[in-house]
Amino acid sequence: MDSHPASSAGASPGLTHPGWRFGPATTWAAPALLVAVGYYFAARVGFAFTLQPYPISTLWPPNALLLAALLLAPTRAWWWLLASVLPAHLLVELQSGVPVAMVLGWYASNCSEALIGAGLARAFVAWPLRLDSLRSAGIFLFCGALVGPVVSSFLDAALVSLVGFGERGYWDLVATRIFSNTLAALTVAPLILTLASIEIPRLRAARTARYAEAAALFVGLAVTCLMVFNLPQFDNHTEPALFYAPLPFLVWGALRFGPAGTASAIAVLVVATIFGTVNGLGPFAGSTPQETVREMQLFLTAVAVPMLLLAVVLDERARVELDAREQRLQLTHLSRVAMLGELSGGIAHELNQPLTAILSNAQAALHLIGNKSAHPDILMEILRDIIAADQRAGEVIRRLRTLFKRGETQFQPLDANELVDEVLGIVHGDLVTRSVEVVPELAAALPKVHGDRVELEQVMLNLVVNACDAMAGVPSEQRRLAVRTRAVDADAGAVQISFSDCGQGFTTEQYARLFEPFYTTKPRGLGLGLSISRAIIRNHHGRLWGSSVPGKGASFHIVLPALAANGR
Amino acid sequence: MGSIVPYVAIVDDEEPVRKALKRLLRASGLDAESYASGQAFLEAAALREPDCVLLDLHMPRMSGLQVLRALQAARRALPIVVITAHDAPETREQCLAAGASAFLRKPLEEHELLDTITAALGARTR
Repeated sequence: MDSHPASSAGASPGLTHPGWRFGPATTWAAPALLVAVGYYFAARVGFAFTLQPYPISTLWPPNALLLAALLLAPTRAWWWLLASVLPAHLLVELQSGVPVAMVLGWYASNCSEALIGAGLARAFVAWPLRLDSLRSAGIFLFCGALVGPVVSSFLDAALVSLVGFGERGYWDLVATRIFSNTLAALTVAPLILTLASIEIPRLRAARTARYAEAAALFVGLAVTCLMVFNLPQFDNHTEPALFYAPLPFLVWGALRFGPAGTASAIAVLVVATIFGTVNGLGPFAGSTPQETVREMQLFLTAVAVPMLLLAVVLDERARVELDAREQRLQLTHLSRVAMLGELSGGIAHELNQPLTAILSNAQAALHLIGNKSAHPDILMEILRDIIAADQRAGEVIRRLRTLFKRGETQFQPLDANELVDEVLGIVHGDLVTRSVEVVPELAAALPKVHGDRVELEQVMLNLVVNACDAMAGVPSEQRRLAVRTRAVDADAGAVQISFSDCGQGFTTEQYARLFEPFYTTKPRGLGLGLSISRAIIRNHHGRLWGSSVPGKGASFHIVLPALAANGR
Repeated sequence: MGSIVPYVAIVDDEEPVRKALKRLLRASGLDAESYASGQAFLEAAALREPDCVLLDLHMPRMSGLQVLRALQAARRALPIVVITAHDAPETREQCLAAGASAFLRKPLEEHELLDTITAALGARTR
């Protein structure tokens, strides 16, 4: 007999994204039909992958396909799926001349395998199971690729013995079925589960280079597998190193194409290896046909499990990093908005000044026209002043809009002096109302730096606001903020921007904690400004540090690497 | 009152605001002169005393409050209307305590501004 463990189930990978959504009426019919058709062809593949002329199955995919379908479907749809594969099972098994009792027995054991795997997995993971975390992958491997095949194999072998079909012993049947079904569970189910979770729009959005890379990976893998596993071995001295030849491609898949890429690469490896082995080619040569097949199955299982786990771990880590990045962006934005809130008084000042000029000019013009004393030249001058004041107000709004916006970090060549001017423009109102005099010392002809305008302005704003706060206790006529920019020749070119106040400064003990999150010396401060500023500057490959003479003032310095002359 | 047409001094560090207020006051029939800093105003006021002062609060080096205190110290009781573009409620009390006659927020409504100046001038003539 084919000793394939029984089976049923359906394929239909990629049908839906997270899991199949079954509506009330007939929406389950199409997936069920697809599963049935998939089951039929999977069984044909199982028959084809039988070691000739011996009836030893190497891979039995229908059960794995049914397992994947159950894992993707809501529990209430399971019975429909199990029922839908019965016709496919009967059709494919009866063609091979197996007694009806045995055919029905295999249907039961096949269904039991998928049900045990999927039912057990569902006890641990909510529907639908996705191979997107080490935990869910571990649960899938344990329930779907180990417990399901092992437990159902005892049932399967018992049914075979009961019906009296074939001549092989009970334990031989159990072992054969476990290996072929576990390998199928490792090959087919992850492929369906990962392909089903692929987002089509993302696939469409991928660049040509990405498709070219995928093509190179799979062509390279296929050629390697053909050379290693599908050529006649002229002597029995297999080069063990040959077994490792496909590994670089599998690692490539895990690193660059995630669990879906790895599952696909494993499928290519498994198909190529089995194809060679069942045709008497390749390096697997045991003393008996069973041994040959067992060696190959063990090799493929030993490769598939760690590669799948590696891909899942890498994918999970990448997602965690992405989440952390998103959170950093959010926190940076929140901190920026909070700082702009603190500056609202100064911003109101910056808007009220031009509004005053506009209003008073317009009212003056009305008087002049009303008095019939309006000379066109005077009116023109007034209108020009109104336009200039309006533009100034517009500039304030433009700067604010940029800072309020939340967006991805965008690196571009920037002029440090321009950034300083912009920042001093934003805080101008605040500086005026706090009676802080700015003493700029901006070096001419600075090299450009590479950075995100909004983030660098946020850091500078933070340093200016801190400096102003630090000078609150200084008599107003003495409040001075020195802003310096200069080129630093060391380190292959860098630009330094410094802000020095004449406040109380800080002690060494205070400095040790100054950049810690939630550390603040202000009564209403959050204590996030400097820690976020340092994170931003680090992200720009620069340095942010402070220096102080306690009682005399503090300075904060930013050093950013200069762009090379070639603009790189 | 020093002359038939009342003379209003405008003290504001921002040139566009200074210019616009001077235009408005002159178009409204007042005599107006503007000064870019507290010091410049105090020096000029020593030569020609204004009938009313529009005094900006936030100016570099010498703030409006410091000008008020300087005038207070010199025992010169001028009608002073403090004008500010900043919304800080506590400064209003400080200014009134330092001798300001009125406190207005920018942007300045014409009627409110002229009424306040008229009231300040009236108080002075009484």
